[in-house]
Amino acid sequence: MSDLFTLFITPLIISAAAFLLPFLFRSTYGKIVAVALSLIPLALLIYGQPHWIGTSVSYKWLPPLGINFHLAVDSLSLVFLYLTAIIIPISFLALPKEGIVSSNTFYGMVFLLQGLLIGFFTARDLVVFTIFWESMLLPLFFIISYWGGAKRRAAALKFLVYMIAGSTLMVIGVLALHFATLQATGTSTFGFDLLGKTAETAPHAGWLFFIFLLAFCVKTPLFPFHGWLPDAYCQASTSGTILLSAILSKAGIYGIVRIGLGFFPTFMVEWGHLLLGLAIVGVFYGGLSAWVQNDFKRLIAYSSFSHVNFILVGLFVANQIAHEGAVLQALNHGVTIAALFLVAGWLEERIGSTAISRFSGAAKYLPHLCWLTLFFVLSSVALPGTNNFIGEFMILFGLFTTNPLLTAVLGLSVILSVIYMLRWMQKVYFGTPHLVEGIGRDIGWREISIALPLVFLVLWVGVYPTPVLNQILNTVRDTIVLETP
Amino acid sequence: MMNVTLSLADFSAISPLLIILSGALLILLIESFFEVFSKKFSFYLTSLTIVLAFLAVLYTPVSHNPLLTPWLRFDPLSRVFALLFLGIGLGSTFLARAFFQQFDLDESIKSTSRGEYYFLLLSSVFGLLLIGNANDFLTMFLGIETLSIALYVLCGYMKEWKLSHESALKYVFMGALATAFFLYGIALVYGAVGTTTFPSLATRYHALVAHSDKILFLAGIAFITVGLAFKSAVVPFHVWAPDVYDGAPTPVTAFMAVGTKAGAFASFAIIFLLVLPKFDLMWNAAVSLLICVTLIYANAVALRQTHLRRFFAYSGISHAGFLLIPIVSGTPDSMTALMFYLVIYSLATLGAFAVIAFLDKQSTGVVFHDLHGLFRRSPWLAAILSLCVLTLAGIPPTAGFFAKFYVFKVAFESGHYALVVVGLLTAVLAAYYYLRIIAIMFTEAPVDAEAPKTSWTAAAVGLVSFAAIGVLSFYPAPLLMLLGSLR
Repeated sequence: MSDLFTLFITPLIISAAAFLLPFLFRSTYGKIVAVALSLIPLALLIYGQPHWIGTSVSYKWLPPLGINFHLAVDSLSLVFLYLTAIIIPISFLALPKEGIVSSNTFYGMVFLLQGLLIGFFTARDLVVFTIFWESMLLPLFFIISYWGGAKRRAAALKFLVYMIAGSTLMVIGVLALHFATLQATGTSTFGFDLLGKTAETAPHAGWLFFIFLLAFCVKTPLFPFHGWLPDAYCQASTSGTILLSAILSKAGIYGIVRIGLGFFPTFMVEWGHLLLGLAIVGVFYGGLSAWVQNDFKRLIAYSSFSHVNFILVGLFVANQIAHEGAVLQALNHGVTIAALFLVAGWLEERIGSTAISRFSGAAKYLPHLCWLTLFFVLSSVALPGTNNFIGEFMILFGLFTTNPLLTAVLGLSVILSVIYMLRWMQKVYFGTPHLVEGIGRDIGWREISIALPLVFLVLWVGVYPTPVLNQILNTVRDTIVLETP
Repeated sequence: MMNVTLSLADFSAISPLLIILSGALLILLIESFFEVFSKKFSFYLTSLTIVLAFLAVLYTPVSHNPLLTPWLRFDPLSRVFALLFLGIGLGSTFLARAFFQQFDLDESIKSTSRGEYYFLLLSSVFGLLLIGNANDFLTMFLGIETLSIALYVLCGYMKEWKLSHESALKYVFMGALATAFFLYGIALVYGAVGTTTFPSLATRYHALVAHSDKILFLAGIAFITVGLAFKSAVVPFHVWAPDVYDGAPTPVTAFMAVGTKAGAFASFAIIFLLVLPKFDLMWNAAVSLLICVTLIYANAVALRQTHLRRFFAYSGISHAGFLLIPIVSGTPDSMTALMFYLVIYSLATLGAFAVIAFLDKQSTGVVFHDLHGLFRRSPWLAAILSLCVLTLAGIPPTAGFFAKFYVFKVAFESGHYALVVVGLLTAVLAAYYYLRIIAIMFTEAPVDAEAPKTSWTAAAVGLVSFAAIGVLSFYPAPLLMLLGSLR
């Protein structure tokens, strides 16, 4: 069995074990077991680091339909594989201390999600890609609808129907590309290599581009396809929100890079202006919405929406530096938003509410949590020296080469994010202290040791981004053929 | 010199039919004379009969006897159909056992033996086998009628249920109407080409020169299509289905949802893919229209159902729309796509009804309310129902996705883009109403919820369908290869 297949199948096997052997994951040590097992993919990735790029597996899966189970790793896949491997353990660690109901099912669902994501980020056959794309929704649907807040079921159903509606037409796109390739080359295949070459010349290529982009943009989500987002983010448990914001949105971004830029580069340039406009509107819409929220979980949800649209700006500019910045920023945003939801979840556990106005001066009672939150907030608003600064700066730099005026406008969004983030900090942590009954204890070593790896990542990319950047430079060169107009 | 006797080999070629028939008659005899024995063993006898027939299908030789071949086909397709029908029959038998275990306990009719039920069930399976083997319109008609008449009785089998009376009566009238259409169509076809036997139908049709003959033939085919559309509950010939499904006892509903549908589509496939492939594109255009209407209407109405039997009626109607797509497409892959879809649909529907059998306690059947908190109460039942429902919704990575994907591929290949678009868009509605069931199972359990009863037969059906869907989801290639050899 090849390394890549091991990487793909391990979480799925663990997931099956979690469903079938509940006692293993329900004991007092269940969480430790789950976290330890969830570190296996990360360990595999780090252990095999030098040789991951270029590994592939290919099995004949459905010969009558011409579908091959083809997975391969290139540098773009690797970035997202690392993100997945880092975020999954975090989502386990973010579970409340007292545990959750049916915890084994929860772990099973998350491991299932992890396996599907690994498959998705490495798929090189369009049908396999589509299968993973759609099937990753199921575990998330269960995670939201069973372990979320009071209105979780409605939120989960809304989330799922939005997603399915967005990507339902993808099947027709897949089939159209398949038959166009069959006509052009005589090969009955769904493989990326051939499909990518014929995509732009396929009949109705514009519509196909639209179909694929719609699916990716709903999941990311690009403005105005974000209707599902506030409910899903707020009704899901902290772990669920971390999965949604840190990984699911990245699946959309990966799709845009892989299919949008990889298959339809000229269409991306052609429609770039419209998409860029939407993304910039999204940045401000998200920012302004975050500003007026009275609930800090909603605030972070909207800030995530705003930042994801910032990443999309980078993808929709026909400029290599912007694309590199966007891929880097996808990684950064994943880390930062997971950290923010993590610390927000801890705050919620301690003050028992997510309302901003109800409580002030928490810094007096929860000093450590306050400083930790402040650190991630500053990272989120792209303070120089943190990871987001590098990514956003690259995107702005790339945008500047094509459209300086828009760059000036977009630059203002950074100020906006400072306003709404610090407003939250100021109101909750730094106002006049009011003692609230039943406030929890400050975070201890357990929480700090969970947060430290994230702090390290934020600072590493912020201060010395060269190794990561080199990785990402390859990414963009490998995947995207760029023709700046 | 024509061979006018049937040899042993010929008898063994039709042995599946003979086994089912003699099994059915035997059960009827036992029921009449040894009621106590029948009460205990008719279920086992039925299962044994079906299993024997199943084995017989696998090992029977092919007959070339001119006494049989004008009426029956002995090709791989008929064999696969027979296996599918017998599998469905066995599943329905098991579900019926689970149903009677519950209802015979509750009511005063404790001593009633259920031999006649199994006799009727075997009769309808016999009808199905005849449809799958038919090589002549008359054999096919015989099969459809045997199936239907047994089902009319089965529908009203729970004589104490008021709901069933209406249901059975409606079914008889509507079924008779459909039969009349079908028979009249056969008559017209015979009038046009002078034969009802399948092999010569296409050549004779293409040899027709007179315009009036062609019109006659097409009118006949149109009537036949309408008759089959009634049986398979395609909009606008579906109006009987929701009421009949709702009023019938749950195992009968399961058999109708799967067996009748499979029988009707076997007829469709034999007539329009095997015998008359693409004989006139007007037919394809007309049926495409039916498909669009069916998909949109059934999926929209299914959104509002709260009774599971009725819900499965509408979901079945929408699947009938999907099953028609490969028949309209008529590409070489169509038969494979249709059969694959049919197998997956049957597995998932039987699995869902197996779970329903656990919860079935009243004549009204199971309503959505009974599913509340099922995940807490019995995670396995919830898991089986979830998988079946996801398969029916066609959500990857379940095998249902492959089935839908294959159907869409065939439609795309033959240029029916509109069908693909309508099918995909209505799939969003389908996803909503199927997933709502799952969402309901994930709610808190109501206080007054009763524990699901236990029944090994329903458990067996549920587990087999769960395992089969699971395996087919990850590795559908062998089944696809097997079905691929049918074209």
